[in-house]
Amino acid sequence: MSAPLLSVTGAVKRFGGVQALRGVDFDLKAGEVHALLGENGAGKSTLMNLLSGVYTPDEGEIRIDGKPVTFNNPREAQAAGIATIFQELDLVPSLDVAANLFLGRELMRPGGLLDVPAMRREAKKRLEAIELAIDPARLVADLSIGQRQVVAIVKALSYASRVLIMDEPTAALTVGEVERLFDIMRKLAATGVGIVYISHRLEEVPEIADRVTVMRDGRVAGVTEPNAPQSELVRLLVGRPLDELYPQRAQSAGRTLLSLKDASFRLARESAGWQPPSGISLEVRAGEIVGLAGIMGAGRTELLSALYGTGLAGRWEGGVAVDGKPVKLSSIGAARDAGIAFVTDDRRGSGLMLRMAVGLNLVMSVIRRISPAGLMSASRQADAIKQSFGQFDIRPKNPDIAVGALSGGNQQKVVLAKEILGNPRLLLLDEPTRGVDVGAKGEIYARLRQLAAQGLGILVASSEMPELIGLCDRIVVLRQGRNVAEFIGGVDEHTVLAAANGREA
Amino acid sequence: MSEQKISEASGPVAAAPVRRDPLALVVRFQSLIGLVVVAIGGIIFSPRRHGEILFLNPDNIANIVRAVSETGIIAIGMTFVIITAGIDLSVGAVLGLSSVVTASMMISGGFGLIPTILAVLVMGIVFGAIQGTISTRFRLEPFIVTLAGLQAARGLALVVSGNQYINISYGEGPGLAPPVFAVLGERLFNNTVPVATLVFVVFAAIATIVLNTTRFGRYVFAVGGNERAARISGVPVSMVKISVYAITGFAAALAGIVHAGQFNFGSANDGMGYELTAIAAVVIGGTSLFGGAGSMVGTVAGTIMLGALANILQLNNITPAMQLLATAAIIVLAAVLQSLVRRREGLGR
Repeated sequence: MSAPLLSVTGAVKRFGGVQALRGVDFDLKAGEVHALLGENGAGKSTLMNLLSGVYTPDEGEIRIDGKPVTFNNPREAQAAGIATIFQELDLVPSLDVAANLFLGRELMRPGGLLDVPAMRREAKKRLEAIELAIDPARLVADLSIGQRQVVAIVKALSYASRVLIMDEPTAALTVGEVERLFDIMRKLAATGVGIVYISHRLEEVPEIADRVTVMRDGRVAGVTEPNAPQSELVRLLVGRPLDELYPQRAQSAGRTLLSLKDASFRLARESAGWQPPSGISLEVRAGEIVGLAGIMGAGRTELLSALYGTGLAGRWEGGVAVDGKPVKLSSIGAARDAGIAFVTDDRRGSGLMLRMAVGLNLVMSVIRRISPAGLMSASRQADAIKQSFGQFDIRPKNPDIAVGALSGGNQQKVVLAKEILGNPRLLLLDEPTRGVDVGAKGEIYARLRQLAAQGLGILVASSEMPELIGLCDRIVVLRQGRNVAEFIGGVDEHTVLAAANGREA
Repeated sequence: MSEQKISEASGPVAAAPVRRDPLALVVRFQSLIGLVVVAIGGIIFSPRRHGEILFLNPDNIANIVRAVSETGIIAIGMTFVIITAGIDLSVGAVLGLSSVVTASMMISGGFGLIPTILAVLVMGIVFGAIQGTISTRFRLEPFIVTLAGLQAARGLALVVSGNQYINISYGEGPGLAPPVFAVLGERLFNNTVPVATLVFVVFAAIATIVLNTTRFGRYVFAVGGNERAARISGVPVSMVKISVYAITGFAAALAGIVHAGQFNFGSANDGMGYELTAIAAVVIGGTSLFGGAGSMVGTVAGTIMLGALANILQLNNITPAMQLLATAAIIVLAAVLQSLVRRREGLGR
């Protein structure tokens, strides 16, 4: 048997006192898609950074075609044929596709002028090689996220062409875009490129991967076949069987907290791509978790932001009542006064003050309560922080570090804990576990169920169907801004999907 | 980083102490450390006369803290604005306008001292609030709004003054300013502490309390930390932004009054470039231009450090050109240190 295209043996990497990798073996064959799974902190990013030359291993070695290599920087890794596509695509949005593909290695005419036509021709050729019809003269800013991903791949492959490392490439893609991306990956693999595919999404693994390596605590927890049952993957990921990812459902629901009766949100100005609630009827009762399902653009996020007053300008028409009282919900202030709290789907962009301490973030929505007479009370602040740390297992257990330094799961716990401190009656959640690892997901679900049991009403929008089905008591399906079907939690996925797409099950 | 420390108050929550990055500590106190370094340098390189270190001469120290009082007052206000991730370029011009209005109200207008001071301070607040309102209402960059504000204030000052120095003469009666106003140019406590410095110190103390212990102060950090997150959390973002520009307007007006009192005239062209000195002091003081982090103590230390540095260079007869270059180097050093810490914390790029 010939040597694998790329192999790592006994890799150890320490950062100060933290051992990020504790002896990792990994190999990649030519023409293979090798999925690398692991929770946050399992060491998969560190491994990726070793392979792409960002870090050098403290112990162990990397071989290409059986020959030991050392990379002192990403350039050397590229020269050896390893290309990496990071989550934050390194494209310049204000430049066109061709300019991005040739950034730093522009084709020149004699005399030091850019040879734009030649670059566009060459760019077109490369894009067409993977059957992608993008005009190389288009600005990257005008492309969809999926198209940008492909441009990034083409760019990476033009540097290096033997190994492609992709970090969560599907995190921001729609279902259709994921399919296209997978097509492209299969084509590349067929030409002999080895692909390391890093992902959180277990359900994608059987579709794309040829082999799966699961990491945990800086070690390889196991290497399995891609069609291993999900329960087996989850066991490898978290180190214990996770039968109870979703908590028990509620026994009974209380009074109606939110009631929409044929309610519409009249926009001050129409906006393409923003589907306002139009003629929607639904109820959320105390103690209940209600899910919002629907395809992209069905108006899930729009409903939540219209209720909370963070969306586009406009006003509600029809019956909107909170806790039995008709309300206008015309602004964030009005929503908060009505006892509504909102957790955004974009925790880094609009949920957290990343550079500020965890504690300061936690008390952000209760500043008024902890500042009697306008003066901040240190003891009330400390009590509030203590309460949050008691409710959520936020790690590290230190309120002084910047929240931006926490893992995604822990950041999400901070965003949730922050809103819960305000003692809302009704909690609106948009994608509550996006980019969160399985362990933290389980904890968040359990906490939400506990809060519901204490009388909170929860309305949760999610694009992850298993999450809605596992977590919610009822699932309301939206299409074009209105409710078209409703199911009891635990319903099978196809029934919900069919309703979301407007088909009979 | 906010000056507030949370773990001390939060008891058992702080179970896992994290190792403090020594570089982060240096940056946190960079302006104080810088001040100490400059002071030591001042002592070492100070010219001596009859064995006396001129740098430490009480008169010299009084001169340093008096010379920085006006930009210091402005820098205090600027700290609020910069913590919200904003900027106010109009302050130097508002200082000029305020000195002119102060002088002309008392000399040509025949107003008394108290009405004059109150009117000028209110004018500063209104000027700042208008800029803040325009910036929030029309979602304009504060850079551009306050750049226009700078031009407007200079223009107004020229109109009011007719492009003349308005000299302030003291005495009783019309066309004369009350003699007590001249106290701004004097020293108290046995001729040791300049009154202008006292104004600076008192203003700094009040500002420190407002920033670190009031709800409003927390809102300022929140708006700069992440405006959208602050809004979602129920922080009255527009009110906070308008308020911080009202504060810089107030600070610039206060500095303008001090200026008129110290130099006994109002001049439309005074205060040029003060906005940049103030911004430099704020940044050296460890306040981030990205917003969300900053310290009032740092700003005060940064202000005095810049003044002490200028002083020691002057004492050694080093040219103003070299003074500018030295200031430039310090600004870059302060910014580089902050950037290094951000990168170590994994927050920057």
